[in-house]
Order: sequence, then C-alpha cells, then structure tokens
Amino acid sequence: MTLTLPETCSAERVATVWREVMPAVAALGAGDTLTLDASSVAVCDGAGEALVVELYRRSAQQGFAIACQDAKGVVARTLGLFKIARFAEDPSTVNPIRNTHTSRQIGEAVLHIYGDLCEQLAFLGEAAVSSLSLLFRPGRLRLRDTLLHFERAGIDALPIILLIGFLLGLILAFMSATSFRQFGVEVYVADLIAIGLFRELGPLITAIILAGRSGSAFAAEIGTMKVNEEIDALTTFDLPPIAFLALPRIIAATLVMPILSIFAVIAGLFGGVLVLVSIGVPAVTYWQHVIAASTLSNILLGLLKAAVFGLLVGLVGCSHGLQTSRTADGVGRAATAAVVGSLILITVSDGLFAVLFFLLEI
Amino acid sequence: MVEDAVIEVENVDAGYETPVLENVSFTVRKGEVFVILGGSGCGKSTLLKHMIGLNPPLKGAIRIMGDRIADGPQAERERAMRRFGVTYQSGALFGSMTLLENVCLPLESFTGLPREARYLVAEMKLELVGLKDYAAFFPSDLSGGMKKRAAIARAMALDPAILFLDEPSAGLDPVTSAGLDRLILRLRDTQGVTVVMVTHELASIFAVADRCIMLDKQTRSLIAEGPPATLRDRPPNATVRAFFNREAEQT
Repeated sequence: MTLTLPETCSAERVATVWREVMPAVAALGAGDTLTLDASSVAVCDGAGEALVVELYRRSAQQGFAIACQDAKGVVARTLGLFKIARFAEDPSTVNPIRNTHTSRQIGEAVLHIYGDLCEQLAFLGEAAVSSLSLLFRPGRLRLRDTLLHFERAGIDALPIILLIGFLLGLILAFMSATSFRQFGVEVYVADLIAIGLFRELGPLITAIILAGRSGSAFAAEIGTMKVNEEIDALTTFDLPPIAFLALPRIIAATLVMPILSIFAVIAGLFGGVLVLVSIGVPAVTYWQHVIAASTLSNILLGLLKAAVFGLLVGLVGCSHGLQTSRTADGVGRAATAAVVGSLILITVSDGLFAVLFFLLEI
Repeated sequence: MVEDAVIEVENVDAGYETPVLENVSFTVRKGEVFVILGGSGCGKSTLLKHMIGLNPPLKGAIRIMGDRIADGPQAERERAMRRFGVTYQSGALFGSMTLLENVCLPLESFTGLPREARYLVAEMKLELVGLKDYAAFFPSDLSGGMKKRAAIARAMALDPAILFLDEPSAGLDPVTSAGLDRLILRLRDTQGVTVVMVTHELASIFAVADRCIMLDKQTRSLIAEGPPATLRDRPPNATVRAFFNREAEQT
C-alpha cells in the first residue's frame, strides 16, 4: 500500500486523508509494507504530524513495515519531536468515561446527602449559638447589613409579591366560584380566599418567591465571598462568618417574610373581589365575609408560618453559601442547592404545621 | 512596512471609553518573542485585548498578517482570528472538561478531523507542554503552573502563527516560571510560532524576549522599544531606567 501525503498537510486536508486511508491501514498486518511518500510535503501542521504519529503507532501495534520517502525531513522531524512509544494506546481510550456505574452513583449520592445533612445540622447549631450570644451582646449584630438585606429581600421583592398574590387570589376565585355557583353559595368564595390566603397560600407563595429571589442570592453572595477568600479573611480577623454574614441575612429573611406575606394576602383579596364583583356578588358582601373569616388566629398562624419559612430560607441559603466549593461551578451549585433545599424544607414544614394545627384544633 | 511583520499596530488609542494609551505604534516580526511591559494599570492587557479582537481600539488600526482585526470586514476578522492562539491570565480552562477535552474544543469547532485524530492531536499538544500524562485530569486537579501550560497547549491546538500570552508567570514561583519561559522558547523554536507576551516579570523578560516595548501610565504612551538588554544598558528615559534598575537591585 502506498500513501502520498499532500503538499499542504493542514487539518482540512488531513481530515480527508485520514478518513480515506485509515480503514485500509487498519487491515495491514505483519509482512505488509506501507510506503509513505512525504517527499512533496511543504507545510505540515499538528494534524499532519498526528497522521504520521498514528501511522507509526499502528505500525508498531499491527506489525506492518513503513518504507518512508522523506526528502524534506518532515517525518523525521515529527518522530524526533514525538516519541511513538509515548503514544502506544488508542487515542480514543484516553479520555475517561464519565458515566460510572449506576450503583456507585447511587452510593455517592447517599453519602453526599448524608454529608450535606451533617453540615446543615452543624450550621444550625453554630447559628443557634451565634444567635444566643447576640442576646447578651446585641451590639455585635451588623444592623446596617441587616437593614440592607431587609430592603433587598423585602422592599425590592414587593412588586413581584403583589403581582403573584393578586393573580393567586384571582385564580383561586375563578376556580372555586365555578363550583360554588352550582350550589348558589358563591358568596362563600370570599371566606375560602380569606382563610386560604391567610393560613396557607399567602405564606407559602411568598416563601417560594423568597427562596427563588433571596435564598439563591444569599448562597451566591456568600459563595462568591468564599471563592474570593473573603471568608478566610474574616476568620483570621476573628470575625465568625456566621455572625458576620449569615445572621444579618437570616434575621432579615425571618422578619421580612410576615410583612411580605401580608402584602401577598391583601393583593390576593383584591384579586378575589375583582372576580366576585364580575359574577354579581356585591363588593360590600365580599368584604364582610372576608373580615368575618379573617380571625385573629388565622392571621397569627399565617404570620407564624411565614416567619418560620423565612427562617428556613435564610438558614438554607446561608449554609449552602458557606459550604460552597472553591471551583467555578461551586457558586452555581450552591445557589441551586439553596433554592431546592429551601423548597423542600418549606413544603415539609408546611405539612408539619397542618398536622400540628389539626391536633391542636386551631 | 517592515518586511517580515506579522502584527502591525498603527496609531492606536487603547481603552474602553477614555484612552489609557494614545497613538501607540509598533510592529511584531515573524518568529520573535515580543514582550509588552510596563507597570500596573498602564494598559498592557487593554492593548492585548485590542490586538486579539476582543474590544476594538478607540482609534487606529491593528493588522494581523495583513488582516484588520478590529475594523475590517467579518471575513477578514475571522481570518485574522484563526491565526493566533491566546492564553489568559487565569488560564481560563473549562472546569467541567478534562485537559484533553479542553485542547480538543477548538479542533472540534474549526477542523473536520475525526474524533480519534482530534484526540491524538490534543495528546500531542499536551506532550509538547509536558502534560500528556495528565490528559484525563480536570483543571481543578492541577497546579497553577500546569494550568498555564495546559492553556498554552489549548492555544496551540490549531497551530497558530502567533501566540498571545497574558501574564503567563503571574502567581507562579520562580522555578515554575523559568520552566514556562523554557517552554515558550521551545515552542518558538520547534513550532515556529511568534510569541507576544504581556508581563512585568523582569526575569522572564530577560529569559525570553527578543524585543520589547514599554508602556507608561503617566504619559499614556509607548516610551521605549528594543531588546531588553539594550533598554537596561542604555535606557532612553528615567522611567525605563527605574524599571530596569529595580531588576538590578533584585538580582
């Protein structure tokens, strides 16, 4: 077999030659001779060199001989630069296969979840100790940072909270009014909206928005600070990162949640009245029912849930931020984990609240 | 026009909104190691970004082997951009890919080579920088010097005529830095690549540079041009003397 290398051994030319020639080269064996004519090669880039190396690698592996015409010394130069023995293995096997065995992946995931839980518990403990120490030395709380996060997580979130709350009330009214109308009791839609929003949906939807907006921001901010070694700098100044960075955010999230939740509920009630008035229920009747259904216990239970959800969002966001790995994708992962973790904890705690309130008959 | 010029910078004002450098002109010749030096904030990296076409200069023209990189037609710009490889200060390797995949990436985008050929070319580039045995490693598993070498291998993947290096020795110890200098010279000698390097590491400048230019923050201009030894022995002005005297004090 004879292979004449083109005058210009560029990547484009080599790509064609490679595809044409390699199947035939693969069929060569001991006793065969490949005549490699490189005498006309004027330009040879990395791809041309790779072709030469591949031919000699296969020659060593398959046992065929190469008779080389190398007037310009291109092949000799390539073989001088790259030792064939260093390229003994098939190049397509060099890169590792990413998808390892499924059982191993499951095992790693379980260990990861276990490690994550341990870290969350450790963070919870440290945050609790830091909070307690604040009771004795309230001056150590960074009030300015707390107010800043209060503004970012609260005031800046108001437009979206109002919009979602309004739409939630609207949708809730539409959905329930259709069914209630069959029994002629559409006026009780007002009670449903008031109780539903105050006790359940107001805090829940607000917490979901807070987790998406602020929980991820907490994790990303603290995570970036960790990558930039700012957390290390704080530690060397004997400023505990939890007290310095996490507590202002956690306190802000806990305090802002009930307020945001009230705004969401009020917006939802206005969404509801719009629907009921449009189906013929007088606005006065609607508001009378809303006031009657909005008992103090309903309002307080909703606010309590909101505060707990805010606390969870703050805790999870900050803990994932502090656990960020120092890699480029670490911050992204921390932000994702913060949102997912917050949503899971919010849902679980909401379920626990439902059971608790049922048992306490409130 | 200089006969063997590969890069021509003519009357360039460098900067993003306001110029940090004004009316800079110089030529880089084929096969030389050309160093852009100057103190912090003098506009070295800004000028480099103009030269590699990331940002257009405020004024003036930059030609890579005759093709305008900033203000030329799209085809001319693309032709110019295929002629060089760049390594950035941090290495800028993609963290989710192995070294082999990092080097393969430009080959995948710009050549029609089959997969095994791409892998072999990438392996050979890694061999050139002494990292073939680390082909399956991820960048996070490597030291700073290894990341810089891997970035050079990636920049060399398409066999560019010019290699731009932005502060290759930044953050490296002197031994690793000297190893990198040797690699740069070896690439120049074996691959025939022209090297344009931004640095303020004096040891590197004397080890590798054929010629250099010095930029000055205060006058916002190019204040010296020539071989480093000449600039050190016969400094044209006080700023150049101060820059190279610090070297004399250090060594």
